Amino acid sequence: MHRLYLVPTLAINFVIILVPALLTIALAFFRWDGISAPVFNGLGNFQALAGDRVFWSALTNNLIWTAIFLVVPIAMGLLAATMLLIAPRGRTFFQVVYFLPVIIATAITARVWQGMIYSPVTGLFGLMQKSGLPVVNPLSLPTTALFGVATVDLWHWWGFLCVIFFAALRQVPQEQIEAARIEGATFWQMMRYVLLPGIRPTITLMMIMTVIWSFLVFDFVYILTQGGPAFSSEVLSTLAYRKAFYDLNVGQAAATALVISLFGLVATYFYIRVQSQEGEQ
Amino acid sequence: MKRRTFVQAGLGLVTMSLMGGTAFSQEKKPISWWYETAAPENQEFLRTLVVAPFNEAHPDEQLTIDFRGSELDKQLRVAMLSGSGPDVVYTAGPSYVASMAQAGQLLPLDEFAASLGWNERILPVFIELGKYNGKLYALPKTYETLGLFFNKTLFDANGWAAPKTIAELETLADAMKAKNIVPFGAGNADWRPANEHYVSLVLNSVAGPDNLYKALKGEIPWTSEPFVAAIDTLNKWWQNGYFGPNYFSLTGEQAFAQVATGQAGMAPTGTWNFTNVPRYFPQNNAEPGFVGFPSAEGVDYPIYALGIGSTFSIAATSKNPEGAAEVIDYVFSDKFYGDMNTVWQGEWNTPLKDLSKVQVGAEVLPLYTETMKGLADAVNANQYGYTTWTFLPPATDTYIVSGIEEIWLGKLTTADFLAKLDETFKQEQSEGKVPAIPERV
Repeated sequence: MHRLYLVPTLAINFVIILVPALLTIALAFFRWDGISAPVFNGLGNFQALAGDRVFWSALTNNLIWTAIFLVVPIAMGLLAATMLLIAPRGRTFFQVVYFLPVIIATAITARVWQGMIYSPVTGLFGLMQKSGLPVVNPLSLPTTALFGVATVDLWHWWGFLCVIFFAALRQVPQEQIEAARIEGATFWQMMRYVLLPGIRPTITLMMIMTVIWSFLVFDFVYILTQGGPAFSSEVLSTLAYRKAFYDLNVGQAAATALVISLFGLVATYFYIRVQSQEGEQ
Repeated sequence: MKRRTFVQAGLGLVTMSLMGGTAFSQEKKPISWWYETAAPENQEFLRTLVVAPFNEAHPDEQLTIDFRGSELDKQLRVAMLSGSGPDVVYTAGPSYVASMAQAGQLLPLDEFAASLGWNERILPVFIELGKYNGKLYALPKTYETLGLFFNKTLFDANGWAAPKTIAELETLADAMKAKNIVPFGAGNADWRPANEHYVSLVLNSVAGPDNLYKALKGEIPWTSEPFVAAIDTLNKWWQNGYFGPNYFSLTGEQAFAQVATGQAGMAPTGTWNFTNVPRYFPQNNAEPGFVGFPSAEGVDYPIYALGIGSTFSIAATSKNPEGAAEVIDYVFSDKFYGDMNTVWQGEWNTPLKDLSKVQVGAEVLPLYTETMKGLADAVNANQYGYTTWTFLPPATDTYIVSGIEEIWLGKLTTADFLAKLDETFKQEQSEGKVPAIPERV
């Protein structure tokens, strides 16, 4: 009888996730413009993607993005969370400040950075240019566009990790921290031998989720550069969107989405493995 | 007792509202129209200049406009697939019409065109453009063209004249650069497809509309010499710095404003920017100018490349196609053209054949009305070119937007760009995705 409680969630998952997922998998093998009847295309969409240099550069950009987000916000979050743990004064204030960018709508954050910071006409960069500083809008150069977008997402994102890590750090037994202090452990020794091992499951989970989220990144890239200039900030999700809604090539868009899902699946596999290992422990 | 009274009152209210609804539905037949994103004041113009007068003039009909935001084309596609779309179908352009007509989602409009006099009232090229397999499926809401805006005050002060040839344009641009004025006020930070405005300009004014027509019909490849010359010219302008240092950082409106302030000298852009003229030129004490874009040697001057942003059709599943046709008919009236263009310029240039009877408000910039009349006359005389966003199929068009950036930034050669363009076009042509190309007389 108690299994009936599963029905609502199962029904929602079936309708909202399973059916569209199966349709996407099927469409990856069809040529379809989103309007007329789909035509079976075998592996044609995947072959076309394999021969498309933009697909490979988008995939590379996703890997660069993942590498950035596995290192920078996690390091920043850990450092700030440890500071909050060690220095209680102003803790609540700083938590709010760090977390504030997370709750601002993505579109607003992106437009603020685009118009009020990066813009050479209306932004901070424009003021710096007028003062003689040789700064250039990073979004306008192919070499820096991806990093310019990543900076905005980092600003928006790291506070979330900080709060999560801080919550985890507070669960580390106080006796261990006190013992380390009495033993004369330095800040870095405390991190290395007490705090980080104490919150390792949280860090692992966040890293796995970072991999999944990094392959789903869309909003900031789409709003700030739309993948440009010259595809330099194109990622797989913006490529899929462009193929589906601008090229009217839904089949190739679905194939691209499957590649995104593949990376998500690998990360999910590791997540489940870690979870089950923890369960066993 | 109280409870019974409450229940009775409730039942009474429900019955009354049901009766009211029945009576309402018997009297008025609903017509739905989904519109794209529009600023609040523009939504008000649509309510006061379309909905209210239409419903007043048609007591049996009830028109409603639903503002669906910037993702209208995606919403429409899903709704049309499921047969639950609006009566008046407002598509994003002719390339969408071909696919929808192919899928049987649209109603042929030929009978309405004959009975309501559209064939006589609307420029023939646009009637041809809305056809698929010989049947009329769509009419353009507005048409636009590309040309050269310039700061007349700045030109007069420097003794410059509006250029008519590419050589004159380049000499002028170099003179502007020497005075630290950006030759082209241009930017794509808010709308990357702005890139294709410049590609359209050189395809028409350097390669020429005749060659463009042949390529659109598949008679010559896109790798032909005239297109190589056109793309090379555009690339030369970019490398010479005519587009200024901030092309990827400026929005279209910011770039246009720089022409008014004199930071930039000219804006090679579309007639939709007439909306921005009263916003920026008067406050900078500058007078605007607009001419056709200069042509290369051997190409007529001026060539007005035709562009259509959106179109009107009627859904095949519409329960009130006659009402929907009346709405479209109202939009193509002289009165509506005059009223709407008085308050909202550049967005409602409906393709009427004869604008001499149209009454536009005195406060409207004469340059705008003259340009639109000149454009209508040029199109009526079959002197027009082709914009990429109207006449190219979707994937070819989006390739141009990103591909030209790759050329500008040295990632691609003109030959490779045109080879890929040709390959994409041929693929889409074989799938029947190229919009109708009216015969070139």
